[in-house]
Amino acid sequence: MENRPLEYDYTIAKMFMLTTIVLGIVGMLIGVVLAFQLAFPGINLFLGEGLAEYTNFSRLRPLHTDAVIFGFTLSGVFATWYYVGQRVLKVSMAESKLLMILGKVHFWLYLAVVAAVVVSLFAGVTTSKEYAEFEWPIDIGVVLVWVIWGVGMFGLIGIRREKSLYISIWYYIATFLGIAMLYLFNNMEIPTMLATSDVGESGIGAWYHSVSMYSGTNDALVQWWYGHNAVAFGFTVPIVAMIYYFLPKESGQAIYSYKLSLLSFWGLMFVYLWAGGHHLLYSTVPDWMQTMGSIFSVILILPSWGSAINMLLTMKGEWQQVAASPLIKFMILASTFYMFSTLEGPIQAIKSVNAIAHFTDWIIGHVHDGVLGWVGFMIMAALYHMAPRVFKREIYSKSLMVAQFWIQTLGVVLYFTSMWIAGITQGMMWRAHDEFGNLAYSFIDTVTVLHPYYAIRGVGGLLYLVGFLMFAYNIYKTMSARPVEAGELQSASPMGA
Amino acid sequence: MDIAQLQAYGYFALTTVLVIGLYGYIYHLYSKKKDVDGIDYESYSDMALKDDIDDTPVSSISDEKVTREGVKEK
Amino acid sequence: MFHWLEKHPFFFAVGVFVVIAFAGLIEILPNFAQASRPVIGTAPYSTLELAGRHVYIKNSCNACHSQLVRPFKSETDRYGHYSLSGEYAYDRPFLWGSKRTGPDLMRVGNYRTTDWHENHMKNPASVVPGSIMPAYRWMFTNKADIDTAFAEQLTVAQYFSVPYNQPIPMKDGSSKVVKMGESVDKANAIALEEAKLIAADMRDQDVKDAVERGEIPEIVALIAYLNSLK
Repeated sequence: MENRPLEYDYTIAKMFMLTTIVLGIVGMLIGVVLAFQLAFPGINLFLGEGLAEYTNFSRLRPLHTDAVIFGFTLSGVFATWYYVGQRVLKVSMAESKLLMILGKVHFWLYLAVVAAVVVSLFAGVTTSKEYAEFEWPIDIGVVLVWVIWGVGMFGLIGIRREKSLYISIWYYIATFLGIAMLYLFNNMEIPTMLATSDVGESGIGAWYHSVSMYSGTNDALVQWWYGHNAVAFGFTVPIVAMIYYFLPKESGQAIYSYKLSLLSFWGLMFVYLWAGGHHLLYSTVPDWMQTMGSIFSVILILPSWGSAINMLLTMKGEWQQVAASPLIKFMILASTFYMFSTLEGPIQAIKSVNAIAHFTDWIIGHVHDGVLGWVGFMIMAALYHMAPRVFKREIYSKSLMVAQFWIQTLGVVLYFTSMWIAGITQGMMWRAHDEFGNLAYSFIDTVTVLHPYYAIRGVGGLLYLVGFLMFAYNIYKTMSARPVEAGELQSASPMGA
Repeated sequence: MDIAQLQAYGYFALTTVLVIGLYGYIYHLYSKKKDVDGIDYESYSDMALKDDIDDTPVSSISDEKVTREGVKEK
Repeated sequence: MFHWLEKHPFFFAVGVFVVIAFAGLIEILPNFAQASRPVIGTAPYSTLELAGRHVYIKNSCNACHSQLVRPFKSETDRYGHYSLSGEYAYDRPFLWGSKRTGPDLMRVGNYRTTDWHENHMKNPASVVPGSIMPAYRWMFTNKADIDTAFAEQLTVAQYFSVPYNQPIPMKDGSSKVVKMGESVDKANAIALEEAKLIAADMRDQDVKDAVERGEIPEIVALIAYLNSLK
């Protein structure tokens, strides 16, 4: 052992910061392309007729969702875990060779799985289940990545100096357990290569193909129990983990009520899993499950707002920081959007509202005010906070951050307002009847009317992407910015002009 | 007893347990105990605020009682 | 007890798991005891239809088209009878979708024909002016994967007892047998028979020629699948 003071080791965190940014750009870029394809269908052929199969909306759509969920967001979760985990447990990754190796294996295996996913989705190899499109060979890779992360996580917890676990660690543990359970159960499938024909042939057809263990209504039930809670444990739980660490740290303020954070945690854990049924209202799943999904979705406001209000109140008496620091702006806007989308979600889960909202763009709007406003802003804020500490340099440009903040905020607002209008317009037109009880509009009428909103949405998405590129540039330039002393890093992050 | 009945009993029992658990937890959180185990949860925020590698843990893994008085471990 | 839990990560994790698994345990597992039973008139997919279903999935048609008619007048007027659970008994995976950028396809076989689909997949806006659906012209040249469809038939027959080669009761009191080949060659032959019927209603000479040669383009399989949705 060399004789120098022990430091936190951010090697793995840096690697995942890189994938967060790269996959973020990829996911959002595809998203912008998709948005404009809906407004201007000619863009489906943007690489020509020959490549149309790989550039059309339907082939790209799963790539967009998966790149943002499992690329951008998950990388952000891993990056912050390898940063926050060490710090609140007061133990360095450098203290254990095994954990370092596990961390590196985790990263490279993750990257390999991402590459496999990209290839398979472009080729159209998919199970069609949303956010679980991967066929069984990739599923095995995903499980391996997850197990390695879990072993590394509990390994780090095992050698900690801080006896109690900080609330963020609770949320990271819940992320690990929740996704593990959901992913395993939803991806139960039988590879078709196992089947044997009457004359004894086996291994027929594509080796990677599989059949779901569940059929029809049951399959839908499991899928939306997964789909809804993948949102919970991918887009909510780990992001709450981030804000509980980064907001107090950046502002230098203690959490307004630590007890409330604990209560909200258990509330969220218990309530969230019931709410999946709201994706299946008026479908063929049993009525009591639909009602249960609806009711629990409304109850879900309580723990969600518990966390969000706790965050806003953490800034009590320190609101000048919101004006002064763009980093705090990002986090405050993130928790505001969290409040907003956790209110919007339950409203959409009310049966009579859902009758109009389901299958429309309003749902797309809801997802995006959550992901762009809450998840995206929080992950970017986390990376901005981490950058000076892992690179030991000040953030390259504060004014660029401010500009980025306003551009992206405008982008999100354009996005969700246009999707609200589009969704409600279409939902109302579908159900409109004339005086004789006949349908008032043919389906295509309800599509062409959406054109302006699709165009506005595309612009909103483009603005967000531009902001994200500014973020990427700012982080990149930070690596060559002015070096800072450890003392400057106590709370507020140092920023250049 | 058919599956629906089992389901109903199971649901009731588990809900009761969880409700008792929840209220017990709230009582636990908001009553500051004076015994060794008693802890002011609000001090836990320091786990994030004082998280340098040489900061004193809020409650150290090696000797909890000593460090609660603010003495460094080892 | 609570404070102890917070200091023991393993037991804490167990506690979290119990709380999050609770809903699934109550809600989802028991429902599996009553696995969905097919309603009268619901038959498993033929080899060609299944291959078409794979084309549907491969191109994520479910990203824009639902297959779930909700019990509202506006939906039954537009799409036909609302969906029944048993109608999905042979759907692995389910294809309800979550967004209707285009119309529902649950019963599209009742009101669209082979040549409508052919023209529509080549150039949607020529059939439905104002349509924002992209064209799917590569389906006219790509070959459908009959082998994999056959492997799937074998799998569901062996593991989930899907009734192939058995009489299935239909709504009018008659019965219907969905054939599954006993070998890969036989399965391909059965699929080709069915493909010839579809190709006969199509105009594209290249597709007709391909089927004549014994090849099945993706579009033929897809149309077979869409026609089976009733």
